[in-house]
Amino acid sequence: MADAAATAGAAGSGTRSGSKQSTNPADNYHLARRRTLQVVVSSLLTEAGFESAEKASVETLTEMLQSYISEIGRSAKSYCEHTARTQPTLSDIVVTLVEMGFNVDTLPAYAKRSQRMVITAPPVTNQPVTPKALTAGQNRPHPPHIPSHFPEFPDPHTYIKTPTYREPVSDYQVLREKAASQRRDVERALTRFMAKTGETQSLFKDDVSTFPLIAARPFTIPYLTALLPSELEMQQMEETDSSEQDEQTDTENLPLHISPVRRQGASQGCGEGTAGKVAHPGRQGKKASGGGE
Amino acid sequence: MPPTGSDPARMNRKKGDKGFESPRPYKLTHQVVCINNINFQRKSVVGFVELTIFPTVANLNRIKLNSKQCRIYRVRINDLEAAFIYNDPTLEVCHSESKQRNLNYFSNAYAAAVSAVDPDAGNGELCIKVPSELWKHVDELKVLKIHINFSLDQPKGGLHFVVPSVEGSMAERGAHVFSCGYQNSTRFWFPCVDSYSELCTWKLEFTVDAAMVAVSNGDLVETVYTHDMRKKTFHYMLTIPTSASNISLAIGPFEILVDPYMHEVTHFCLPQLLPLLKHTTSYLHEVFEFYEEILTCRYPYSCFKTVFIDEAYVEVAAYASMSIFSTNLLHSAMIIDETPLTRRCLAQSLAQQFFGCFISRMSWSDEWVLKGISGYIYGLWMKKTFGVNEYRHWIKEELDKIVAYELKTGGVLLHPIFGGGKEKDNPAPHPHFSIKHPHTLSWEYYTMFQCKAHLVMRLIENRISMEFMLQVFNKLLSLASTASSQKFQSHMWSQMLVSTSGFLKSISNVSGKDIQPLIKQWVDQSGVVKFYGSFAFNRKRNVLELEIKQDYTSPGTQKYVGPLKVTVQELDGSFNHTLQIEENSLKHDIPCHSKSRRNKKKKIPLMNGEEVDMDLSAMDADSPLLWIRIDPDMAVLRKVDSEQADFMWQYQLRYERDVVAQQEAISALERFPTPASRLALTDVLEQEQCFYRVRMAACFCLAKIANSMVSTWTGPPAMKSLFTRMFCCKTCPNIVKTNNFMSFQSYFLQKTMPVAMALLRDVHNLCPKEVLTFILDLIKYNDNRKNKFSDNYYRAEMIDALANSVTPAVSVNNEVRTLDNLNPDVRLILEEITRFLNMEKLLPSYRHTITVSCLRAIRVLQKNGHVPSDPSLFKSYAEYGHFVDIRIAALEAVVDYTKVDRSYEELQWLLTMVQNDPVPYVRHKILNMLTKNPPFTKSMESPLCNEALVDQLWKLMNSGTSHDWRLRCGAVDLYFTLFGLSRPSCLPLPELGLVLNLKEKKAVLNPTIIPEAIAGNQEAAVNPSSHTQLVGFQNPFSSSQDEEEIDMDTVHDSQAFISHHLNMLERPSTPGLSKYRPANSRSALIPQHSAGCDGTPTTKPQWNMELPRKGTGIHVSVSHLEGKEQPPLEMSVHAAAAAPLSVFGKEPASSKHSEHHHHHHHEHKKKKKKHKHKHKHKHRRDGRERGRGPLAFPSPAGGRSARSPSLSD
Repeated sequence: MADAAATAGAAGSGTRSGSKQSTNPADNYHLARRRTLQVVVSSLLTEAGFESAEKASVETLTEMLQSYISEIGRSAKSYCEHTARTQPTLSDIVVTLVEMGFNVDTLPAYAKRSQRMVITAPPVTNQPVTPKALTAGQNRPHPPHIPSHFPEFPDPHTYIKTPTYREPVSDYQVLREKAASQRRDVERALTRFMAKTGETQSLFKDDVSTFPLIAARPFTIPYLTALLPSELEMQQMEETDSSEQDEQTDTENLPLHISPVRRQGASQGCGEGTAGKVAHPGRQGKKASGGGE
Repeated sequence: MPPTGSDPARMNRKKGDKGFESPRPYKLTHQVVCINNINFQRKSVVGFVELTIFPTVANLNRIKLNSKQCRIYRVRINDLEAAFIYNDPTLEVCHSESKQRNLNYFSNAYAAAVSAVDPDAGNGELCIKVPSELWKHVDELKVLKIHINFSLDQPKGGLHFVVPSVEGSMAERGAHVFSCGYQNSTRFWFPCVDSYSELCTWKLEFTVDAAMVAVSNGDLVETVYTHDMRKKTFHYMLTIPTSASNISLAIGPFEILVDPYMHEVTHFCLPQLLPLLKHTTSYLHEVFEFYEEILTCRYPYSCFKTVFIDEAYVEVAAYASMSIFSTNLLHSAMIIDETPLTRRCLAQSLAQQFFGCFISRMSWSDEWVLKGISGYIYGLWMKKTFGVNEYRHWIKEELDKIVAYELKTGGVLLHPIFGGGKEKDNPAPHPHFSIKHPHTLSWEYYTMFQCKAHLVMRLIENRISMEFMLQVFNKLLSLASTASSQKFQSHMWSQMLVSTSGFLKSISNVSGKDIQPLIKQWVDQSGVVKFYGSFAFNRKRNVLELEIKQDYTSPGTQKYVGPLKVTVQELDGSFNHTLQIEENSLKHDIPCHSKSRRNKKKKIPLMNGEEVDMDLSAMDADSPLLWIRIDPDMAVLRKVDSEQADFMWQYQLRYERDVVAQQEAISALERFPTPASRLALTDVLEQEQCFYRVRMAACFCLAKIANSMVSTWTGPPAMKSLFTRMFCCKTCPNIVKTNNFMSFQSYFLQKTMPVAMALLRDVHNLCPKEVLTFILDLIKYNDNRKNKFSDNYYRAEMIDALANSVTPAVSVNNEVRTLDNLNPDVRLILEEITRFLNMEKLLPSYRHTITVSCLRAIRVLQKNGHVPSDPSLFKSYAEYGHFVDIRIAALEAVVDYTKVDRSYEELQWLLTMVQNDPVPYVRHKILNMLTKNPPFTKSMESPLCNEALVDQLWKLMNSGTSHDWRLRCGAVDLYFTLFGLSRPSCLPLPELGLVLNLKEKKAVLNPTIIPEAIAGNQEAAVNPSSHTQLVGFQNPFSSSQDEEEIDMDTVHDSQAFISHHLNMLERPSTPGLSKYRPANSRSALIPQHSAGCDGTPTTKPQWNMELPRKGTGIHVSVSHLEGKEQPPLEMSVHAAAAAPLSVFGKEPASSKHSEHHHHHHHEHKKKKKKHKHKHKHKHRRDGRERGRGPLAFPSPAGGRSARSPSLSD
């Protein structure tokens, strides 16, 4: 419901922008949106079995619907920007709805409900001039629950995909080398950053930047940091407890092929702190972004 | 000075073994300690004690107790106010106006001061006068209850407060307090008889914040909330008679863990550490089982508590039914290296529960028995837990330590006897401190003392068998437990005390063997034996001619006469021979069993019955000898230098199964850099059955050999291919396997090999590039993610390896060290150190091992001239608030800097820290490190050595460290190292070289400029007894009228004092308040009043101005040379002081004095009357001074103290 309404609103705004009905296009736009939303509210009320409604209550419900939709839009935008995109994808909307406490699973059934009322498309004064692109093949028709004034499905060729895989690096030496230098780079960058942003000490009076040492700072309770294992270590301990370490000893070369891959991906994705937690983040990430673009 | 033979308490008890004679005229049976209030903010404690005593003599009129630092408000005996006086001569040992700077003089004065308050001699700092109303009561030997109200404000020793400065309530901040100290130091926190030989039952009550827990000795009877529910009181009961010195306390917001295996055992730790506590103590029950089994005796107390606290004084401190540990012993399951160390500490403390806490000692000279037994059973535990190899290795290590110490610094005497002041039999082995008292001992000496004690116990075991040994222990324990259950027969309690003679008697009873020669050799005498062995094989006679020489003239050595075992490994087997070492016989002929039949292919039987194939091609064709071992069982405390051919050492290393022999062979092989030695060492290194410590030692030996063979060395650097084979990936040998420390033996080897390899040097005396790259690669590819254990120690050792690889920089003259001329290798090293050190800030390692190694490595770089030498980095890491290991490492670097750069500023900085640092251990450690690595020594010219420094150090040991025995002795050690025994050379010569001693009517050389050797004799020549008459002057000036007046004043003063005691926020460190009730009878006491006026130290400098010099008028005439002390007189005062009280009581002081004193008094009185009502505060202080006057107090050095301000204030 909300999804449909949002799209409707968006579509409406697109079509109305060039309207000549009013002097002020912005006011005009607001009015039109409002009217559409009122129609939506009214039809929902009718669907729900109301025969009549007071103006004030319709207005209130409209207000609520509007803010709900705006929130979905705002939130979806944030999600999409968070992953460095400009266009929201379906998953952004889904995450948004989940976040807002909406049960997404019920949505398809609701969309296909039988006593559904179809709202007529808002009057379009100016058909937008869409340049006729080269069409290849036949576009998929709208299923019955999608109003016809909605945009058409993309061309069939856009659905064609060719999955690509990078050959997993399996040479042990290279992997170790890579893991080592990666970790070293991360550590170096991190400590340099810390040194740059905080107080430092230096071994050379004339040069403070080549070997910057983060200044020693006394603790109020020094024994706690000294004795308690760090979180990283704790996590590691849990993991090594479950995975049988003993096997590693002599079968060093072959079985290790898998684990370095995993580590590498992990440190890429999440840095030192969560190394090894996500099972296959590399592949997952690839798939997700491939689908989205 | 020790008293003469007249004092019964100090008599040599060796012969007349008639049980224990108390040095006190009363018996303590029960003591209550109640601490009502503990203020963490102000670090103060308020409470009272109540001692129940039974007089044992009829005319008991004074009771001496120990108390230091406590401010005593009020003393009541059976509810009657009692006068008391407080005098502590150890506060300031020599007096400040003295310009005497001679350590001999100080040591004597210090020993005298300590004995003057020594509870084992019946002395004490606090002297309470029994009110006259009770005299009759006393004469009937009826019970006395002494009730003492006291408080403690900002204690500097005895009790240690840890109060982190964060937000929140004290409990949230993890603030805690605990008792600590070296030997008997309980007097620092409550008045008591601070002797190990005075046992009584205890009731302990502590009222603390509801969020806090008080842990103390005995059973927790109940905890009661106060009405407002904000505080609760912990009531502890200790029904087993225990000495005050074994009483302890810890209060803090502890997390509590009841041992899952033994419900009577409870563990306490600071907040957030519970998981570590669980892991750390999970092993303890096994130690319990072990000791109970071997001793066939239940653990004597009904409960046991372990408390883990921060800023510990020592790692392990055992008290009755409770042990206090450093919190830094806690560790998680991921830590390998700390685990055995912590377990050892636990086991050690538990051994001391039996011997040391439950069984106490009669006197200081019996200490060795307790330390010996606890150390010995701890050794048995080690043997069972870590195996025979580890045990033998440990014994060898301890033996090497004691031998090295004795040869370097002089003998360690286990059983010092001070009968009749005869020192001739025992030429003082340590001239710079007295061994007559635990509190005058250098800490290092005491450590070595304990080490020797358990080694000697092991020698006794060798002699009488372990079975008998354990029977003896069992006998001691069962006697003690019988005695301890005699609740109402306190005279039986002395059965719980062990003495040397009692112990020896048990041994002879149980075993029927005479071990007297052994005791005489190792216990009654100091020194170790030094053997030189060499041999020749006489082919004709088929005899081994062994020559064993001894060096018994060097200091720290003694002559050995008796049996000596020699083991000879021949082709036909191993044979033991027992030689008799006698005065003149050096050569011993040992018949050989086998002819040299090397051509026969035959297996060679070893000592343990094993038969092995050997490649005999290296052997001398004519001789059947494979190797010879002198004293293989370490049955003598000795150092053996034996001469063997290199191949014999190699055989010994490869085939002898005893780890000690293997280690001896390794250290001998250092002298034989040959390919054969190399091969032998490499083989051992590779052999997995070989003990890991031997393999580790082989690494370092191999590095040394490789360096000696550098021109002929072939192949890759030593150990590299071995390491690659053991720890690197098969396909890519430059990459180390991901860490897996499941096998501890290979873990230790993996850690050690790179450290040893880094010591390799090429022909230019540089670390080979290949080795450096190798180590850098190890660091680079180190991957611990799949490891079950932490790699912090491993990484720390890799940094140590980097530091080891550093060689001195090639420097053009006085070139300033800058980045531009940095050696590229050093740049790489520095890169790693920087990264490690910075990562530590983000992901700290356990105990900051990595920071510690980084700091050390930086100092190495500085010292070798790669990095500008600069202490500021270390100084910042040395600040309070860093983890203690880091601080110590940083301080060590500063100490080293001070030495190398001769920096006065840093030396001052260190000494300031010694005085001001909040952590006693750090203070102690700084002195210790300065002594070990001194900025200069007595035989050296140095710009640092100046008069101000002498004064500063003198002041430090004289008065600045009176709150901590260990620290004071540390200061004495340092003073000795820097300036030696006699007058420091940097001081200007005294004005006069001659001093007139009118007493003896002769002129003597001013003792301050007498060279050391003579000075020593001088001391001996001064016989204390010849001077006792000095104090024997009659006092014609003392009149009863005077007394009346004084009494009035003091009564008034004490009232004023009581009414104002709450405002007493200024803190004189000598809480010598006295209350005096008019004594209207017993005139015997009268003379004392006048004598006492200068027998008491005072906190007020003006006394100094007003009183003339002590030593009577005679002196004044000659001593316009202010400050040149005259030892003879000094000695006499001490002697008098140590004399028993009753004697003293009849001896008034010199007339000159008392005259002055009276004069002084009158002056005061006038003054006081004027200001009486205006300045109550001041007035009270005056009163205190005065109040102290009238009650005589015998004091050794105290004779001088009257005139001097106590600078420790």
